[in-house]
Amino acid sequence: MAFNRREFVKLTGAAAGLATLGLPLVASAKGSASIVVIGGGYGGATAAKYCRQYMPDAKITLIEKDKYYYSCPFSNEVLGGDKTIEEIRFGYDGIAARGIDVVIDEVTGVDPAAKSVSTKGGQKVSYDYLVVSPGVSFKGNIEGYEGEQMNKMPHAWKAGEQTTLLRNQLEAMADGGVVMIVAPPNPFRCPPGPYERAAQIAHYLKHHKPASKVIIMDAKDKFSKQGLFMEGYNKHYEGMIEWRSAANDGKVNAVKGNKLITEFEEHEPAVANIIPAQQAGALAGAIGLTNESGWCPVDQRTFESSIIKDVYVIGDACIAGAMPKSGYAANSQGKVAAAAIAAKVGGYEMPDPSYVNTCYSLITPEHGISVAGVYRLEDGKIAGVKGAGGLSPAGASDATRQVEAMYARSWYANITADLFG
Amino acid sequence: MRQKLSSILAAGLLGGAMLGGTINASADPAGAMVGNPCAGCHGIDGASQGQAPVIAGLNTMYLDMTMKAYRDGQRYATIMDRIAKGYTDEQIAAMSKFFGDKSWPANTQSVDADAAAKGQKLHMSTGCVGCHGQTGVAMMPNVPRLAGQYAGFLNQQMLDYKDAGKAIPPTAMVMRSMLSGLSDEDIAALAAFYASQK
Repeated sequence: MAFNRREFVKLTGAAAGLATLGLPLVASAKGSASIVVIGGGYGGATAAKYCRQYMPDAKITLIEKDKYYYSCPFSNEVLGGDKTIEEIRFGYDGIAARGIDVVIDEVTGVDPAAKSVSTKGGQKVSYDYLVVSPGVSFKGNIEGYEGEQMNKMPHAWKAGEQTTLLRNQLEAMADGGVVMIVAPPNPFRCPPGPYERAAQIAHYLKHHKPASKVIIMDAKDKFSKQGLFMEGYNKHYEGMIEWRSAANDGKVNAVKGNKLITEFEEHEPAVANIIPAQQAGALAGAIGLTNESGWCPVDQRTFESSIIKDVYVIGDACIAGAMPKSGYAANSQGKVAAAAIAAKVGGYEMPDPSYVNTCYSLITPEHGISVAGVYRLEDGKIAGVKGAGGLSPAGASDATRQVEAMYARSWYANITADLFG
Repeated sequence: MRQKLSSILAAGLLGGAMLGGTINASADPAGAMVGNPCAGCHGIDGASQGQAPVIAGLNTMYLDMTMKAYRDGQRYATIMDRIAKGYTDEQIAAMSKFFGDKSWPANTQSVDADAAAKGQKLHMSTGCVGCHGQTGVAMMPNVPRLAGQYAGFLNQQMLDYKDAGKAIPPTAMVMRSMLSGLSDEDIAALAAFYASQK
């Protein structure tokens, strides 16, 4: 986000001033709710679509800073070489065709008092309900990881240009090189992501640079689907993937030049992929939607912010009880938030919320594993339904892993159609 | 049309104080709440565009009994058993109606014509036609539509039904004996035939 706190306050201050003078910035038409969604990823694109479905007469605006969206799910397969960057790129024509105003512009301020959003391009859009789906931003947990260093050691944790940078480095690397993936501390976007990435990079190396190695440097002592990943690594990439836990000096504290620095050692891998610690997207902090944790507290029934009324926060940025920070979770949350807003607009009781998550990971193109969860509200918190969900079985047959890989690709086709189709 | 009419009626009953005019979800907010999250894997309104099965327009009763079979450990799956365990009878009834009320989509998939021709012969000679109809569109509510379903799913489903080590609903036990004499190649041919049908 290219605005700082001071500019933001200035902007919203000015907006509030205008509003008190009785000059509404954009009058919302009588009898028709105006809903603005900020962020066109898995959460925001879903929220906009389902608001449209539930409220055919509402004015719905989606504001997104980039013309194209690059999907984080399946971006690891771009690193592995089974997908191209174009195959994970989506435009907003499908969303516009649903009768949603798509504004490609950067949000510079939100004025919760005047209920308006201002953009870099000079637009001001008023809202009755605002949905914010800002994704994640990075925390400075790794000293020296800023500016040009972020291109030198790509994070590739926001897909697009960064994915291409990392892929190019892998392609340029000589056989026998070491690739280090620095995995972040909890909580972070896509808990199985760094470990699927290790497999996908190893998949590429195995076929093109078989003397090379992948080392995961972890800030944690355990990780998502660990047993299933380890089983897959041993089966397909024996001796190629090494995992260093935090207890085994895996925690990288600083980067300098080509070096990764831990408490006891310095490493100089051929390719370094740094995934820093995370918090809610910068916009959420600037609007004032975050608490001391850096994430956004919400009413977990509706996703309305606990801090600002009529503002809903969904996706990775929000605190959603037992749900992980995943694309599917954001998609599911966007639907619940849309239903909650529709109920408010329509003046009826919202049905009990129901939320789902499924995360597939591909260890090879024919070896898929999954974790699933079904969630409901318990005592005001999103809780996993007991006995439901969980992991693919350990030690399953090749045929089973193959079926899961088939459904992983099917998932990607279906969820991206749900978002952008 | 029915959905639109009922939403207008519901809106009318709820009074005119709404900001947003027509509220579609008020026709069946509970069904939409439990049904819409399924789109991630099963496609918009259940009209899958991948190898996960189409569930749009399947018989409501079939959907209901199938979800319960997955939930209660009576039907093997790679993932659906884990997910089905998350739902109550009421939720399963609501989502079954939600998808049962949708229309079967006009998806097309590329199918090996020779395999499909072989599959059609097997379909007639093995006796599948008895329950599943001439083209894989069943007349009985507890028998699923196969015509136009994805070949990848159908193939896997038949292999799972044939496998004595995997759970099968009591109502589908006949499938195990029907499939017992068929090779993997036969099963793939049958899947291609059903997938090729409209």
